[in-house]
Amino acid sequence: MSSSLTLAPAPRSEAAEAVRAEVREFLAAELAAGSFETHVDTWLSGVDPDFSKKLGDRGWLGMTWPKQYGGHERSAMERYAVTEELLAAGAPVAAHWIADRQSGPNLLTYGTEKQRQEILPRIAAGECFFVIGMSEPDSGSDLASIRTKATRNGDDDWVVNGAKVWTSNAHASHYGIVLVRTAPLDTSNRHAGMSQLLIDLSLPGITVNPIRILDGGHHFNEVVFEDVVVPGDMLLGEEGNGWHQVTAELAFERSGPERFLSTYPLVAEFARRVADSGDPAALATLGRLSARLLALRQMSLRIAAALDRGELPNIPAALVKDVGTTFEGDVIEEIRRVVDVTPSLDSPDALGRALAEAQLHQPGFTLRGGTNEILKGIVARGLGLR
Amino acid sequence: MSDQDLVVETVRDILTGFEPFVLTAERRWDPGLWSALAEAGLTGVGLPEESGGSGGELADAVAIVRTLAAGAGAVPVAEQLLVAGPAVVAADLDLPPVDEPLTFALGPAVTAHASDDGDGPGRFTLSGTVTDVAWGGVARHLVVLAAGAAGPVLGLVDVSGIQATSASNLAGEPRGSLVLDDVPASGALLTSAQVEGLKARYALARSVQLAAALEQVLAWTVQYAGERQQFGRPLGKFQAIQMELAEMAGEVTAVTALTDAAVQSLEHGDPGFPLAAAAAKVRAGAAVEVVARLAHQVHGAIGFTQEHKLHHLTRRLWSWRDEAGSDLAWSRVLAAGLLADGPDGVWPALTRIV
Repeated sequence: MSSSLTLAPAPRSEAAEAVRAEVREFLAAELAAGSFETHVDTWLSGVDPDFSKKLGDRGWLGMTWPKQYGGHERSAMERYAVTEELLAAGAPVAAHWIADRQSGPNLLTYGTEKQRQEILPRIAAGECFFVIGMSEPDSGSDLASIRTKATRNGDDDWVVNGAKVWTSNAHASHYGIVLVRTAPLDTSNRHAGMSQLLIDLSLPGITVNPIRILDGGHHFNEVVFEDVVVPGDMLLGEEGNGWHQVTAELAFERSGPERFLSTYPLVAEFARRVADSGDPAALATLGRLSARLLALRQMSLRIAAALDRGELPNIPAALVKDVGTTFEGDVIEEIRRVVDVTPSLDSPDALGRALAEAQLHQPGFTLRGGTNEILKGIVARGLGLR
Repeated sequence: MSDQDLVVETVRDILTGFEPFVLTAERRWDPGLWSALAEAGLTGVGLPEESGGSGGELADAVAIVRTLAAGAGAVPVAEQLLVAGPAVVAADLDLPPVDEPLTFALGPAVTAHASDDGDGPGRFTLSGTVTDVAWGGVARHLVVLAAGAAGPVLGLVDVSGIQATSASNLAGEPRGSLVLDDVPASGALLTSAQVEGLKARYALARSVQLAAALEQVLAWTVQYAGERQQFGRPLGKFQAIQMELAEMAGEVTAVTALTDAAVQSLEHGDPGFPLAAAAAKVRAGAAVEVVARLAHQVHGAIGFTQEHKLHHLTRRLWSWRDEAGSDLAWSRVLAAGLLADGPDGVWPALTRIV
């Protein structure tokens, strides 16, 4: 197969297994103490700053970053184990998720020394949360068509006007890394003229309007910028290099276990039902789902190992997200076929509730972070077809 | 270049002289390819030299099996190198000469009676019908899992004089039955854990073959989509075709990642190996549906003919996925294993298996 799709197997990591055991012990204690309840898709919907702070206190945020910025200089394999355990337990990790996964690494790569020193230690402590400002009301998959623009004023500060949408938890976050046009669209080079700005969401001129998803939950927002003055030193990276910087984030954004474990709490509930009933058809379904999950883990682990080697495997990451998010949705139908249960958020049955949560979140799985059609296009390029 | 790269190069060189062909009752296997492999010492790789093998690692044997599967080689190498050979060595039985084909079968209807033929312990007579014997009638020796009075018995028999029925799988590979009628055998008692391990090895052998064939089918399909012109451009330039090829690539990547992990599990002697093999077999089997269907769809009518090469692998894919234990059987084994410590043990088990 094309070498751009194939990664070497991940080496085994004793350090990862050691931290995994610590996280498991922590989660068992938190569950026993009633500090959280298990839910589906908690990396979108489970906002709990106190819980994020606890993770920061234990050194489980900013794990791979240099110690001088509050990080812990641990491997991507160790970070993988921590995130995987949190997701499998359905723990409330949404508050810090974007900052820890994506914004921090982005700052490490492109941020100024001042930006890194001011912000990274707060992310690692679980005290500073981020949003991604990419999509706009008229720009979804065609990201290069964004219209939010930033112009320099007389003080060399940036003046930002426009709107970003689907910004998860902007109402509970401190900063956004916002993709803006800093030069007009050049139709012969659509990817030029964009830049990333680091924007304090408390600045005057910013309005955060809620956008409710299917279950009524408020996670998404529209963030409107009206003549927002952003200090000149809050440019992230190079002016005009925004497109390149955005695509470099994608290996982090698309390859993690949140791309196949969003509905794992539903699988866990289903396993309880299978153990009780012993139904052979349900047993086979649990086996089939587990085999798919195990394959996805290996794919994702290979990417974590590649990140540890300093690679940015964007094409394999697109593949993980395509296969993984399809799996997250398939879980619902596979379980429905073998269990007689009515999905309802009000169900007295935990399986009925988990099914309802999963069903109402499912359309988002294959859209967020790049639609599966866009991802398959990237894979096709990796196969040499484009 | 790693050792495995060298092995792969050697097998590929040999394969250039042996094109895949349509297997029939008259031409059931490729004895020329077998002889060439045997002369190169490749039919004993991964089996210790002191037992009569060629030495080398499991990874070398896996590389050979992969390369032959991708080349649709009609020889019982997967059975010999990954299942029957290692089982004979592990049971401390005398390994037949490695240039004579050796195969493996589950023998749920075969009974083993300990016999005293003057050659000491480890002698049995086997009776009963063995069905679905891979390369039955081709293999000179058979390793069969039989039922003995004191528990499961691994029996090794010379079957060169026994007529096999003419049954074959969807690819025409011999899968006939052999009737054993008080046939003398060397043998050894197995524990239930050894039986589980052996069945898992058989499943892993098929998974390795499936993974390699799936990769090759994807490569052929990508190549064809780049060459075949319709509406004035290659098929691969159409988004509808690109989506199909990307879906195939996702399936193939998933199978490869999990199969490699199961091979590593066997290499390390992990206690979770039987579940790793079960998972690999189930995942590979699931990928067959998608990859074979889309490969044929992209190839169009020419891929539906015997003159085109595609069927050499797609018919094998449709066969192998149900051999050495079906998707259904292995998915239940996997789920039952995951539930062994109760439902709360499922997640820890998932992170432990591979």
